[in-house]
Amino acid sequence: MPQALEGSQAIAQAVALCRPEVVAAYPITPQTHIVENIAKLVADGKLNCEMVSVESEFSAASVVLGAVAAGSRAYTASASQGILLMAEVLYNIAGLRIPAVMTCANRAVAAPLSIWNDQQDSMAVRDAGWIQLYCADNQEAVDTTIQAFRIAERCELPVMVCMDGFTLTHTLEPLEVPSQEQVDGFLPPFSFARTLDPRSPISVGTLVDPNYYSEARHSHHHALLRAQEEIIAAADDWGQLSGRHYGGLLQVDGPEDARLGILTLGSVLGTLADAREEYPEAPAAKLIKLRSFRPFPVEALQQACAGLSDLIVLERALSPGGGGIVGAEVRAALSELPDAPRVHNFAVGLGGRDVPLDIYPRLLAAAQSSGPTRFAIFDAELDRLPEGDR
Amino acid sequence: MTIYTRGGFALPGTSVEFKTGSWRLQRPLHWHRDAPCHTACPAGEDAQAYLARFAEGRLQEAWETIAGANPLPAITGRVCDHPCESGCNRGMYDDPIAIHNVERFLGDMALSEGWAYPVTAPARGAVRVAVVGAGPGGLSAAYHLFRRGYRVTLLDALPEAGGTLRTALPAYRLPRDILEREIERLLAIGITFLPQHMLGRDVSLEELRADHEAVFLAPGRQQSREWSVQGSVPRDLHTGIEVLQDWISMGSVPQVSSAAIVGGGNTAVDLARILRRAGAEAHVITHNALPGPDAQPDDMMAALPREVAQAMEEGVVFHEHRGIRRLILRGEKVVGVEMVRMKKLRRPDGTLDRVGFEGTETVLHVDQVIPAIGQDVAPDGMEGPLGRKPFFETDAWGRVAGHDGIFAGGDARFHSRGTVSGAVGDGRRAAEAIDRLLRGLALPEEGTAEAIAFEKINLHYYEHAPRAREPVLPVEQRTGCQEIERGLNSEQVAAEAARCFSCGTCFACDNCWTLCPDEAVLKTKELASDGSHYVFDYDYCKGCGLCVHECPCGFIAMEDEI
Repeated sequence: MPQALEGSQAIAQAVALCRPEVVAAYPITPQTHIVENIAKLVADGKLNCEMVSVESEFSAASVVLGAVAAGSRAYTASASQGILLMAEVLYNIAGLRIPAVMTCANRAVAAPLSIWNDQQDSMAVRDAGWIQLYCADNQEAVDTTIQAFRIAERCELPVMVCMDGFTLTHTLEPLEVPSQEQVDGFLPPFSFARTLDPRSPISVGTLVDPNYYSEARHSHHHALLRAQEEIIAAADDWGQLSGRHYGGLLQVDGPEDARLGILTLGSVLGTLADAREEYPEAPAAKLIKLRSFRPFPVEALQQACAGLSDLIVLERALSPGGGGIVGAEVRAALSELPDAPRVHNFAVGLGGRDVPLDIYPRLLAAAQSSGPTRFAIFDAELDRLPEGDR
Repeated sequence: MTIYTRGGFALPGTSVEFKTGSWRLQRPLHWHRDAPCHTACPAGEDAQAYLARFAEGRLQEAWETIAGANPLPAITGRVCDHPCESGCNRGMYDDPIAIHNVERFLGDMALSEGWAYPVTAPARGAVRVAVVGAGPGGLSAAYHLFRRGYRVTLLDALPEAGGTLRTALPAYRLPRDILEREIERLLAIGITFLPQHMLGRDVSLEELRADHEAVFLAPGRQQSREWSVQGSVPRDLHTGIEVLQDWISMGSVPQVSSAAIVGGGNTAVDLARILRRAGAEAHVITHNALPGPDAQPDDMMAALPREVAQAMEEGVVFHEHRGIRRLILRGEKVVGVEMVRMKKLRRPDGTLDRVGFEGTETVLHVDQVIPAIGQDVAPDGMEGPLGRKPFFETDAWGRVAGHDGIFAGGDARFHSRGTVSGAVGDGRRAAEAIDRLLRGLALPEEGTAEAIAFEKINLHYYEHAPRAREPVLPVEQRTGCQEIERGLNSEQVAAEAARCFSCGTCFACDNCWTLCPDEAVLKTKELASDGSHYVFDYDYCKGCGLCVHECPCGFIAMEDEI
């Protein structure tokens, strides 16, 4: 039966259903509610788990690294500056192939300081070697969190579940919280083959000379590419159990023969889906939800975009001096197609700016009226800037 | 013991170790501001407050909230021009709340349920205050003085209380039984009412002053202004107010087939409607403009726009921006008038000046001309405080300069709004001023409370909802005294109360408590002194301002701390 839950509350319950043994975190907006809800479950005796309150995100990630290395299922959550402070440890967790799970409550990165939502934090650590899954709504975030533990543990890779701060974390929605039996049937107890054991000491993550580094990176890269199968399998198996499926790597929605497409990640999907109903007279368009950003699903993307004349890539991040981050990768992937669609790359909703419904017809019009846009911040109001900055 | 709950959907655990309040540059504050319906109400009613109580199902408390300012809601709910609705912020979103219908519903319910006025009887030997004139202003003053613990003597020249409500408001706007019942029970709280007591005839102002510590004068305007066209006056001249009062008290109407009524006030419009009901052609000739979006406020006729619209439906012909240049007489009997277009010119000081526009003369054939150009105060017995003026010069509290202990209000006051709610407000303010005078207290500063602006409302939290429309008597049935506008039913009224934005007043939506990322908003079961259930914990609030933005009704504001 659905319950009305705040996104953060639901994520805390999903994490608890996965029976973590260690949770370490440092509070940061908009992640705080998630960890506080887990702390309450521990305090109420509903979750048997070591809750470690640390003094920084660097330590939170380090505790998780150590806990998993010692054989425990471990979880953390953070956002924005917190993710950046963790960055060194995130690379280590991935390089050591530690199957940890974390939630990124996506938030803008300073300066200027903003507590509101965009995805520049998780995008800033896209190269850390983590799997990154982006959720469009709170139910998907609940289900993806459960899937994340299985994907992580089967692939021996860490998984970052990204959900938009406030838009999802602080919003109440009717949600299905899975039963403990469902989760136990899906996610077996954690058993880590490389568990540290004081009786047979080993050293991990040590200094390697140039003889080994390239091979280590190659195998890490290919482990991530192979993880696509586990991501799909987890989505399918969970779909069978729960009746809810969000696509494995990506999901395409809309008329088969549409020539226009919009690709995006996260909660903007919901806005676009609503807008499509609100503006039935707008030209037909496919909505492509990119669920897995790492690994980047090149083949699935090429299939999804076959037959499109124009593809709008919408993202809540940018690489200053470069342009769109997702847009650049989509362009690279589609360049292998013989009739690649024109790609129009826009950032929207940076620093929590509302993405209104009427952005949908405006985007479609922009895609049809001119040549491809290499990159632009679609909703920036340039007339508010000094002339030289426009 | 007060119990504080921290965090809407996440109780605090480890994060209370980190006092993020030290990062703050600005802090949020609860900031109650008056809703525009409240600041706009001449009677001083806080519609937001009673709509909120209504929405919570506390109907009697809702009525008591009104009765704290206005003892006549069943009457004002019908006859007021409801500036509250013109001010309502919801009007900029879809339609204003039908506040007058809620007021009327509660007023009627108080009558049928017999809810007691929120008053206690004054002590034996309490100070006496006299009120002259039992119209809306005098009734209001008497009631508010009684509430404040004074023994009140209320005088009126007529046999019954009500003043203009009884003598100048047709029953199709204000049914007699409502008028009777509301006034009767108001007087019954313990006001000493002396009917047929005329100042200057039955008692002098000096005698009143001798027995009473203060006197409030609200005699209305009973003396019609003199009227002629270039010195000529028809033989059978009756003024509008005379004709109207004759119809209301005796049901008699001049037997004419057509009439020109001169003037743009409610008397002119009511008179025209009465003549229409008697089968005559009725023309209203006014120097001013008809109400409408294009009319300039200082050029608009004084009658209530609603009444003008209904009169037009009933076939009254309006001639706006017209004056009478000449009476066309056969002997001394009127057979027509020559009208001229009045052009309005703005003087250098911004006021309007009217001049006749040559060459625009037109002739209107009518049997009678009835001037309804207004009345002045009949000076009998009040010559002193009037000082030869046609009305009382007072300050905002009703004080008459140079006459200590004498107050005046209602239509008799210069710059009167000329409305029932305006008179009710005059009575209330004068009662407060009298109370302060007699207790030796200074009057409070004139408030300049600005209503909360529409821009402060976060519209994301309100859904569009149409305003309920009251049933209106079809034009063909408007022949007698049957009330034209009917009330809304209880479901409709409840829906109207639920449409209120609650501008500037917390309605406990929990948004701040739920959304605060630092769980720095604490919730209490008890109501805090600022009228909300929430308290900011500044040890943790880092000043992000999210609560300010997400507060639907503008109750939270940000304040610089450095």
